Amino acid sequence: MPASRDEIPPGTLYLLILKTLARSGELHGFEIANSIQQISNDVLQVEEGSLYPALQRMLIKGWVTARWGTTAGNRRARYYQLTPAGRKQLVDEVSQFERVMGAIARVIQTT
Amino acid sequence: MNWLGEFARRIGMLLHRDRVADELQEEIHLHLDLRRHEQVEAGVAATDAAAAARRRFGNPTLLRERSYTVWGWNWLETLTQDVMYGLRAMLRTPGITLVALLSLALGIGANTAIFSLMDAVMLRSLPVKDPQQLVMLGQGHASGITDSFGVTQLYSYPFYRQLQRQNQVFTDTAAVFSMSSDVHGFVLGRTTAEPIQAQLVSGTYFQTLGVQAAIGRVMSDQDDRIEGGNPIAVVSYGWWQKSLGGDPHILGKTLKIADTTYSIIGVAPPEFFGTTVGEAPDIWLPMSMVKSVPPYFNAYSDNFGEALEVIGRLKPGVSIAQATTNVNLLYQQILRNFRGGVLSQRDKDTLKKAYVPITSVATGLSGLRRQFSAPLMLLLSISGLVLLIACANIANLLLARSTVRSREFAVRQALGAQRSRLIRQLLTESLLVATAGGALGLAFAAGASRLLLRMISSGPEVLPLRVSVDGQMLLFTLAVTVTTALLFGTIPAFRATKLELTKSLKEGQGAVRVHGKSLLAKSLIVSQVTFSLLLVVAAGLFLRSLVNLNRVDTGFQRDGVLRVALDSTSMGFKVDDPRLQSRLREIEEHVRALPGVQAASFAFFVFHEGEWSGTITVPGAESHPDEDVVHDVVGDDYFKTLQIPVLAGRVFGPQDTATSPRVTIISAHTARTLFPKGSPLGRHYYFGGPSSKDEYEVVGIAADVKIGDLDEEPVAMDYVPANQHPTFLSDLMVRYTGDSGTVATAVQRAVHEVDRRIPITDVSTLDEWVARSITDQRVIAQLATFFGLLAIFLSAIGIYGLMSYVVSRRTNEIGIRMALGAERRQVRWLVMREILVLVAVGIALGVPAVLASSSIAQHMLFGVSGSNLANLLAASGVMLLIAALAGYLPARRASRVDPMVALRYE
Repeated sequence: MPASRDEIPPGTLYLLILKTLARSGELHGFEIANSIQQISNDVLQVEEGSLYPALQRMLIKGWVTARWGTTAGNRRARYYQLTPAGRKQLVDEVSQFERVMGAIARVIQTT
Repeated sequence: MNWLGEFARRIGMLLHRDRVADELQEEIHLHLDLRRHEQVEAGVAATDAAAAARRRFGNPTLLRERSYTVWGWNWLETLTQDVMYGLRAMLRTPGITLVALLSLALGIGANTAIFSLMDAVMLRSLPVKDPQQLVMLGQGHASGITDSFGVTQLYSYPFYRQLQRQNQVFTDTAAVFSMSSDVHGFVLGRTTAEPIQAQLVSGTYFQTLGVQAAIGRVMSDQDDRIEGGNPIAVVSYGWWQKSLGGDPHILGKTLKIADTTYSIIGVAPPEFFGTTVGEAPDIWLPMSMVKSVPPYFNAYSDNFGEALEVIGRLKPGVSIAQATTNVNLLYQQILRNFRGGVLSQRDKDTLKKAYVPITSVATGLSGLRRQFSAPLMLLLSISGLVLLIACANIANLLLARSTVRSREFAVRQALGAQRSRLIRQLLTESLLVATAGGALGLAFAAGASRLLLRMISSGPEVLPLRVSVDGQMLLFTLAVTVTTALLFGTIPAFRATKLELTKSLKEGQGAVRVHGKSLLAKSLIVSQVTFSLLLVVAAGLFLRSLVNLNRVDTGFQRDGVLRVALDSTSMGFKVDDPRLQSRLREIEEHVRALPGVQAASFAFFVFHEGEWSGTITVPGAESHPDEDVVHDVVGDDYFKTLQIPVLAGRVFGPQDTATSPRVTIISAHTARTLFPKGSPLGRHYYFGGPSSKDEYEVVGIAADVKIGDLDEEPVAMDYVPANQHPTFLSDLMVRYTGDSGTVATAVQRAVHEVDRRIPITDVSTLDEWVARSITDQRVIAQLATFFGLLAIFLSAIGIYGLMSYVVSRRTNEIGIRMALGAERRQVRWLVMREILVLVAVGIALGVPAVLASSSIAQHMLFGVSGSNLANLLAASGVMLLIAALAGYLPARRASRVDPMVALRYE
């Protein structure tokens, strides 16, 4: 277990989930949590439980759809998948994130 | 449409809430499982693995709830919970709930019903174009026909024509015959006569009102130009549907009334009922036909055949004051011209005093309004008071209930319930009671307004009035009651939830802070008693007034007499045709011969049927009386039939024929006022003014009778024999013994044996007929009594509720008192004393209120003063008695408290 893990910046949880799903296609909750952690080299730690309210909200918004399937270990699991609306949302979220990060970076670099 | 899809998904979730919750549960469970496995595989001990998985996950219960609430249906679920809980709470105390609901329903329903009727009778505008521009000459306080000079309530047709030509203030002017004509006619060539209510109007009537025909055309001024020239009729929509079967090809078809055949030119629109609220004519005929419509009044060309109401539509920008000036100026000119410019001193005096008021007829004309506006206002105030009492009751019930539940709230708060959640729940419960009560009230209002309409309809037919439940009033009363429920449901909620928990839990039912709360409750009881006293006093007064009216000596013997009303104008004879009178005599004789019949006689008027009056001139009399004399035309057996005592002289007999000297019988009041010196018998006088040649000889004096209303002063009357005064007599009076129904059937058969064409319009006993004349007083008395009883009932329940509550709160104290040796009797008195003090305070406040408001109702009372002491004492006694009864049960319960049980409770 790495010595320190950073909380994800607020408001980026949707972005992370959307991006993860865009990359991997269809995942269930546990896989999404693990995927975010691994790809960020264990730097970003999602409080795993908070994935679920976020996923429910994304279901309402129509960014993802869900279907029940079976895992490799033969357990029933809910798999999430991006919708076209979700892809569009991803583009929006990414560009917004870049705008904000760019601005913050400029503030930091101005000495 | 993003939000639409979102909404659909939310709704979808709502329909499958349980599945969504289960799936979340399963998902989270899987997550925790997988994480635990991962840890175990990494070599962590099984117990630590589960803990670690949970640590990384967070609080599963909370997260599951958060995932669930994301869908946004939380409020609905809370509400459902609150409502279900509220319903259960209501059902746990069905007595309280029932009383609260009934109070609300009756309070809301009665107010709405009375106001709806008031709206229909007094407030609603006529369904015509711009009704607020319509005005009338006079105040619409009269109907009938007169030939007096200088009257300002009714006008002649020539006057209407002159005014129409000369005025500068009206765009249109119309005239309406002040009596509706109940005639019989043959419709579309049918062979049986049907009753038709005809309204004679000027040709400008529909144009002035701005009413267009639904089919065909309405009449125009051209249809009203030549006397007898245009036999046409506009029919009402309702009658077209009912009697003509809604025939679309009705135009040009005919109906026959008396000798005249009218052709139908149009159908009025469905909402149009004419201009008189409470009447609905079947057909409208032009005034030019008045002489052809029974009873054939000469009211078209006679300058002094004053029988019309005159309506005008104000020109834009003309005020009522300007119209009044112009009309009064013209009135003086026109009347002067009618006398040919030559006025007697008496005419001049009359004209100097004459003043024509102009009044708005935006809401229509109505005799009904004259009769019922004061009673309706009074009833609305009464039912308003009942609503207040009902509100006080609900307030008390909710107060008591939530105080009893303060322990429950303490427990719930201790277990972690949020304060706002508890308050919201109490609010929901109060609202539940209020809405349920409101719904019941609406149902009650709909039924009650129909019942009221039935009650104010004096005859067997229900008045043709459109009474619909008034939405605004319903909203208003709902708002009042809902506010009460919310206010008094929430005050205790705030208090209860602010409790210091430990204290309330520890002390159980202890006597903590009862005082503040019961002070509010007690003042509610006092105000209930005060209002109830007012209502009980009112009920007492109106009942006494009604009893007094029923006891009035009418002068005639009202028992054992039938009144058979028939339409002699439909027999096909003109009034001067001798066959008319001989046919009527024949009917009298035929009926008289029936078994069970003792006497029978026709009369022109009997009681409460309108009147025919005029001046008389007594030669040699010093002053001329202002009072007109009421004339009646009667058959020979009239005094015998009605058992009116003849004080001196003789009754009419076969010696009084068409050719013999004309004779009259005068009433005792006439004898006293017009013939003060010596016996009037054998004296002569004249019908009409000083130049009249219409001479009569007094042959008898009859006792005074009531002719218009039961509460009138003695009236100057005279009677003339039917044989000397051919008239369309309409009342066949029959004195009988035995069963009224059997005799009534026999009489009707006998009438039709003589002439089967005569329509019989109404058969009732004279007693019933007299009772119909006091319909308004009876309605007031019945409703005032109903509301008085309701008020007592509600107050009794309020007192019972409060005292039960107080007793239950004081169980400990009572226990201690009894342990210390207090007797049951003393404990009972302890409780009763509290009630009696409250009631006494209420009565003490009520008495000045009664005295202050008694003058309002005085003019509606007969033979009893509004501040009648006996009545006030009786009402106070009733209040005390009821309060004592209502308080006795809780007092007895208090006296049965077992000291040991009460103390152990502590």
